[in-house]
Order: sequence, then C-alpha cells, then structure tokens
Amino acid sequence: MTHELLKDLSSAEAGQVLKLGTKLIIPNGVSLFRLGDPADRLFLVECGRIRLTLPMPVRGREEDVLVEERSPGQTVGWSALIPPYRFTLAATASLHEAEVIALPREALLQYFSANPVAGYKIALNLAVVIGHRLQLFQTMWLREMQRTVEVHSA
Amino acid sequence: MDMLLMGLCLGVAGVVFVALAFGAAMRSESWNSAVPELPLVKAAAPARFFSNRVPIAPAVPPLQVPIEVLLLQIENHVRMEQAAAESFLASPTQTLLHSKTTSPFVN
Repeated sequence: MTHELLKDLSSAEAGQVLKLGTKLIIPNGVSLFRLGDPADRLFLVECGRIRLTLPMPVRGREEDVLVEERSPGQTVGWSALIPPYRFTLAATASLHEAEVIALPREALLQYFSANPVAGYKIALNLAVVIGHRLQLFQTMWLREMQRTVEVHSA
Repeated sequence: MDMLLMGLCLGVAGVVFVALAFGAAMRSESWNSAVPELPLVKAAAPARFFSNRVPIAPAVPPLQVPIEVLLLQIENHVRMEQAAAESFLASPTQTLLHSKTTSPFVN
C-alpha cells in the first residue's frame, strides 16, 4: 500500500511513521469523526471507503450530503495538522467497513522535529492533498457561480 | 208529437250532460297543469375525445420525488461536478471549465 502522504519517503521512514499510528476498523455507516470535533489525529485509509459529508437542510430535514469520498492510499482529516485543529467535515465508513491508520498529531510533530527531512517530504505531500482539495472546490464553486449568473441574467 | 218532444228533451239533456262533463274534464286538466313543472334535467354531455379547448387542470402541486431519490440525485450531481472539475484540473481550458453534465439539477 502506497500512501499519498508518505510519497518519496524511504521505506524505513515510511515504516517509522506508520509505527506511530494505530489501526482502526470502522464498521459501515459508523462515523470516524463529526463536523466540529477536535482534530487531533490524521488518518490514512488502508481499505474501504470514507465518505466526507456536510450537513445540509433538505425539505426541512438535516441530511449529510456527500462532499468527497476517500479511498485506500488517500489521507483523511488533515485538519489535525492545520490550526484551529477542528474537523470541517464529517467522515463515515461507506459501503463496507473501512480500515484506517490513525496518526496522532503530537506523535507526528515530534517525529518531524526529530526527522526534518522526512517531515519536509510529508509537509510537501500534505500540501499536494490540501492544494488538490482547494483547486477542486475552487473549480466547482466557479461552475456553480457561472450557472447562478446564467439563471439570473436570463 | 209527444214522442218527438220527448226525443228533443232527451237530446237537449244529453247535450247539456256532455257539455258539463267536458267542462269538468277541462277544469281538472287546467288544475293539473297548475302543478309546478319539474326542472328539466339536461342530459350529460358525452365525453369529447377531440376538442380544441384545453381543459384547465385543477391546481394540484407537482409530485415530489421521495427524499431518498432526491438525496441520490444530489450525490450524483456532486460526483458529476467533481468529475468535471477533475477534468478541468487535468487539462485547464475554458471549455472544460464550463462543460455541461447530465445532472438533473442543471438541466
């Protein structure tokens, strides 16, 4: 399994980082974290799928609407490394049970201090993950904005 | 002569009797006609299959899709929009940025 967060790390470095974590099994439909929860752990998806959702009122009911889905190798919960350390989405295992590796923020920060080269590579990989989310949602926002303009100028 | 007079009297009496009977019959008939007439009921018009007139439909709200279907449509919309955004990021062009999807929310 190649994790996007551990890209370009040596196998020894990747092994050291993975040892910091704990494997978690999330049954289908069970929440990994909820919107607004304190974010003190970052997760690497080992198997299964994690749905990232936001609450949205639909016909007077609050429904969790899909925002993104993360699959094996991908990272969930990077809010754990970005202040103010609060999850801005909800995460739930979908379709089947999911397996993730939970990496505590404190353990990661200590590792980065002790291994700055590996820490730098991880920071770059995290920037790619965050940057992709930003670009994706920027594009989606612009598409929706364009439609709004078309509707109101028709 | 007596026979003639008797026949004449009987004839006159017969005419008077018939006249009275006729008058009574006419009175009862006119009394019956004084009864108020029942309103005429119009026969129902046969259904028309072809007509230039478009019937005005009663104001009925449009059927709402079940919420499960609506949520599925929202999810599909998000997936299609993400796929479209990914295509744009892979090859950023004006055309791909505003490419259309088949989502029911935008059509």
